[in-house]
Amino acid sequence: MNKIHIRKSCGTNLFCSIFLAVNLFFFFSTDVLGAGESESLIAGGYSADEIKRGERFFKGLLPFERKSPACISCHNILSSDTLNWNPSAFDIANKFAAKDFNEFRSAVLEPAGTKMTASHVERDLGEEDLKLVKAYLDNLAQQGPPHVKPSIDNLLLFLLLGVLITWALLELIFFRKVKIRAIPLVVFLGAFGWQVKMVVAEGVRLGRQQDYAPDQPVKFSHKVHVGENGIDCMYCHTTAEHSKSAGIPAANLCLNCHILIREGTNSGKFEIAKVVDAVAEGENLEWIRIHNLPDHVFFSHAVHVGSGKLDCNTCHGPVEEMHVMKQFSDLSMGWCVNCHRETRVDFQDNGYYDTYVKLHEDLRAGKIDTIRAADIGANDCMRCHY
Amino acid sequence: MKSYWRSLEERQNPEQFKIDDARAEIDQKRDLMKKDAGSSRRDFLKTFGFSIAGAAVVASCKKPVEKAIPFLVKPEEVTPGMANYYASTYFEGNEYCSILVKVCDGRPIKIEGNDLSPVTRQGTSARVQASLLNLYDDARFRGPQKNGEPLPWTKIDAEITESLQQLDTSGKKVVLLTSSVISPSTRTIIEAFQKVYPRVWWLRYDAVSATGILKANQLSFGKAVIPDYHFDRAKVIVSFGADFLGTWLAPVEYAKKYAQGRDLTRQAEMSRHYQFEAGLSLTGANADVRFPVKPSEELLLLKQLYNRLCLSGGLPPAAGDGQSPVDLTALAEELTRHAGEALVVSGSNDYRLQLLVNAINHLLGNYGKTITFDRPLLTRQASDEEFALFLTALAAGEVGGVICHGVNPVYDHPEGEKIAALLKNLPLSVSFSDRIEETTAVCTYVCPEPHYLESWGDAEPKTGSFSLMQPAIRRLFDSRQPQESLMKWAGQEVNYYEYLRQYWEKELFPKQSLFDGFRQFWNDTLQKGVFELPAASSPLAWSEAGLTEALEAAGPASQGWELVLTESVALGNGKFANNPWLQELPDPVAKISWDNFASVPVKWAEENGVTNESVITINGLELPVFVQPGQAPQTISVALGYGRTVAGKVGDNLGVNLYPLQPVENGVRKFFLTGVNVELTSKRYPLAISQTHHSMEGRPIVRETAFGAWKVNPAAGNELHAIHESKMVTLYEKKEFKGHHWGMAVDLNACIGCGNCAISCPAENNIQVVGKEQVRNRRIMHWIRIDRYFSEQPENPRVSFQPVMCQHCDNAPCENVCPVAATPHSDEGLNQMAYNRCVGTRYCINNCPYRVRRFNWFQFVNNEKFDYASNSDLGRMVLNPDVTVRSRGVVEKCSFCVQRIQDKKQLAKIEGRPLRDGEIQPACVQSCPSNALVFGDMNDPESKISKLMADPRNYHLLEELHTLPSVGYLTKVRNVAES
Repeated sequence: MNKIHIRKSCGTNLFCSIFLAVNLFFFFSTDVLGAGESESLIAGGYSADEIKRGERFFKGLLPFERKSPACISCHNILSSDTLNWNPSAFDIANKFAAKDFNEFRSAVLEPAGTKMTASHVERDLGEEDLKLVKAYLDNLAQQGPPHVKPSIDNLLLFLLLGVLITWALLELIFFRKVKIRAIPLVVFLGAFGWQVKMVVAEGVRLGRQQDYAPDQPVKFSHKVHVGENGIDCMYCHTTAEHSKSAGIPAANLCLNCHILIREGTNSGKFEIAKVVDAVAEGENLEWIRIHNLPDHVFFSHAVHVGSGKLDCNTCHGPVEEMHVMKQFSDLSMGWCVNCHRETRVDFQDNGYYDTYVKLHEDLRAGKIDTIRAADIGANDCMRCHY
Repeated sequence: MKSYWRSLEERQNPEQFKIDDARAEIDQKRDLMKKDAGSSRRDFLKTFGFSIAGAAVVASCKKPVEKAIPFLVKPEEVTPGMANYYASTYFEGNEYCSILVKVCDGRPIKIEGNDLSPVTRQGTSARVQASLLNLYDDARFRGPQKNGEPLPWTKIDAEITESLQQLDTSGKKVVLLTSSVISPSTRTIIEAFQKVYPRVWWLRYDAVSATGILKANQLSFGKAVIPDYHFDRAKVIVSFGADFLGTWLAPVEYAKKYAQGRDLTRQAEMSRHYQFEAGLSLTGANADVRFPVKPSEELLLLKQLYNRLCLSGGLPPAAGDGQSPVDLTALAEELTRHAGEALVVSGSNDYRLQLLVNAINHLLGNYGKTITFDRPLLTRQASDEEFALFLTALAAGEVGGVICHGVNPVYDHPEGEKIAALLKNLPLSVSFSDRIEETTAVCTYVCPEPHYLESWGDAEPKTGSFSLMQPAIRRLFDSRQPQESLMKWAGQEVNYYEYLRQYWEKELFPKQSLFDGFRQFWNDTLQKGVFELPAASSPLAWSEAGLTEALEAAGPASQGWELVLTESVALGNGKFANNPWLQELPDPVAKISWDNFASVPVKWAEENGVTNESVITINGLELPVFVQPGQAPQTISVALGYGRTVAGKVGDNLGVNLYPLQPVENGVRKFFLTGVNVELTSKRYPLAISQTHHSMEGRPIVRETAFGAWKVNPAAGNELHAIHESKMVTLYEKKEFKGHHWGMAVDLNACIGCGNCAISCPAENNIQVVGKEQVRNRRIMHWIRIDRYFSEQPENPRVSFQPVMCQHCDNAPCENVCPVAATPHSDEGLNQMAYNRCVGTRYCINNCPYRVRRFNWFQFVNNEKFDYASNSDLGRMVLNPDVTVRSRGVVEKCSFCVQRIQDKKQLAKIEGRPLRDGEIQPACVQSCPSNALVFGDMNDPESKISKLMADPRNYHLLEELHTLPSVGYLTKVRNVAES
């Protein structure tokens, strides 16, 4: 999966922006070259024209009479298709790349799953067209997914503001054409202020990724598993209580249920089959890690869940409502420290805290009414940084 | 107060030394700046600007996408993020150790001693600790090779089998050259191999063998074995050149027992230790009484001692009592008084000396008490004489093939070059070595064996004491266990693991009665790592065979210079030369790393104007000089194990190889030469001497007393402590520790200065190797250093070792000078260091009176200029995931292994129970072979640490400063008459 995620585009100063712009230019220019080269690739003896025809058919661009919607209306070509439960064109292409046309044909025209039957039924797909679609998909599998174009709104805005500032400054000092001097001044202050605000906002977010919700290799929905089916978090994240890592479940754990459940209400058979196939073929599922802490931070689930008895929701938010998993908290140090200041420690029942004789005495004597995590050193540097 | 000195310059003129030392430091820094000044200010600004811009673009616009790849099918015992410990066995270079391997996410990341082992009892040595890094060595072979080209196993097997068969019919010998083999199952495999190829001659070769002891015991007791020495039971220990705490036979075991016999925290008695030796060895540095003698005089001394003991025992003394260089009357008397609880050992490889030692021990009735034969040591089985026969046969063309396993004679035999030339011409030469080395370089075939952490195996280090080796990681490269290779060539497809199990089921399972089923027995042994059969106690009959000749033998003429060849504590015989951790470990006595050097006597150096770093030639070999206090007159000591030429990127061409100078007499290798030609040169050679780094300006930091004085007054030598305590006044509020208050006690009496902690600590805490140049620039990164102090006369000084790590002061001077509060105090008394907060002002370093803080002058990880262990993905696999890898520009220091504290606290919290005393063991504490370090909670009045802190011997470093360190030191006690 050769995805490029650009979640933040910004500039800390003008130089930076120009640098990035130059980079982007090279990035796109190489992309164009790359595309030109790969078009000459011929998959399975088909000419480039035929593959193009297959692509147009897939995308519903061919001028032919049909009532049903085009393939692309359900099967996104971009890899970013978080809103869509259906497999993307690339997913399909990969799955059928090594298989022959007949299998592809029967999968499309004689679907086994109910969801697919509902949408594929009575499609008037000619044999010839389908062959070309397959050729197009094979070609797609070879080329890899199309690149997601990075969003550069922020950058463009930043550059625009830069132009405005330049203009305002030139106007103020050299041109002096606008009669009302306040206009360039206001423009300058406004644009500059906006830029500063952008830089500060980016600076604060630097290294943080709240709401990060990348596409995953399998369209796994926590909402379906936790919210609708009520599976306990610990059923899958088994190690949260005793290891520093909560653990992403091994694929064989999925099969505890999915050995029988092979079709989902939303995703049909395709997504579950990915997991089953991964185990059968011994190929790893490479999930995208969402919660990333810097290397100099030590965090242990065991202390928070195992002995602190914290609810998963406290940090991970309403996971049961998320089809696409995202980072709920900002995971900043301020967030950690605040929680340590507020969280009460289970001081009476956990035998470990017997060591704190003095505090127990104070509690009994009523000098203090509760012990919070920070009171027993939870905010010491070397609790997390070592 | 007694005056302590770290170098001769300091002793002669302390004031001048202070000035010179400071000047040298400034000069070094100035040189360094000049050297770096190839770039101008403008270059700096350019780079600065670009890097800031680049970093900003990269950091703010793109964050790398991290992947999380779970198991497909999770193995039952593996939990991501949690370490597992597997019991295994270390045996390399004649050293055995039962170990626990810490495996985190599939990678072995630390080696610890196995406390269940009756042999090594949780002890490890620096080499055992550092052997972990060998697993991730770039010099390892990626797969089988022929003449340096990769060749698949099938082809190699076919060619070697054909060659073996041809040689077998042609009538030429094939020599299977191994180091000592202590694996019983491997022995049977070799025997089976010999059955298929009857002309295979199995020859054992040890670079430093125990030929003398084996031969002497063959004569005295009819059995060529190394007996079990009980240093713990001995009241008087006399060693003639045996460095039993550093290098002799089984130092891990002996250090444990030695320390046990001198542990004043448990008992009110300690052994007295006499050492006769030429160079100041680690053992000599620990001796109560040390006599610097020439090695050629040892025979004479032993004869005289024997005669005196005969006299006091009413026996007629033997003839040949010459003029002894040392008056042995008192020693003989003391030995007689402690008959049956004395122990005399000799490090000589000359069987006549060993015969005399046997006779002395016999006279004293030590056999059966301090020396027993119930569990002979099996780690050194080779006989030099047999190897000499092999050399003759090789030269005569009687040998057609050689298969090498664990040996490197081209490097570590005096006739290495000749052997290399002969091996090159052989029709068949095979090496099982897993990495490049001199002998392997001349072999046609390389059939790499896996590293021991990737292998199955068993070991019998002492008769009846077994242990198992199990793989802790999947094989990194295409390697195969030699056992499997041998069986394959013998025409049998054998899975060695299956074979091993079958062997244990057949041979060992029936001998035990604890388990009914073999599976249980096997699993239990595998889990514990060790298994012991009851000792077969059969006292051996003493015979005087050979004694008369030994008594009549004339020693070598003691004329002119004598050169003593020793093993270095860190590198041993040189097998691990490519290990940067070991190269950087300063020699325990000289405190020099990255080189070997000629230790010369003080007086001679003064008379001839020779100083440290002068270069002299010894029989034509150029060596840098270290003026060694305590070096016997007219002797020079040099460590073996250096000067490797084919070792890998780290170990190549460091120091000088002394093996070619080693004399061989009647086939037996001697470890000293007489009549050596020493010449002065005008050259200088820079040495990485760290002995004068981090000066503490001669304050009362080491405290010591005599055993007699201690018995009368347990606070003897430590009177200052009470005085300082009584004068303590402070403006600061006394800090209260509500829960734990961590502390460490260091028993100076137990510490033998071996440097084991200084390897264990970097392994645990990702401390980087900085290289010779940076060590010279006083930038060694070790968080724990062992200061070595001399006192009294330079001709024969007394030595004190003192491990110094961060003292975790409760009134820490470093804490209140940090402008960014990167080093505050924790609620549990730890002096914390937040790397991510540090901006590198180094104020804390300047304000620390103990010089224990280290600064990252460079980025040492992933930097081609520091091409040691951390410059490749393979090498970085050793990093501990629970400890931050520090970057350039931050300060670091000992954290009391806070990750271990947190880990155990977490466990206790989850289990809902208080922490147990001794449950938390920082890496240094865990690895200490002599139990000199104790860690614990000072708030718990019942803990061991609280008791030690209350011991009258306890004091703190520079306690007059009222820094309130959490580390306490216990006064050193010497078992000498005067104080």
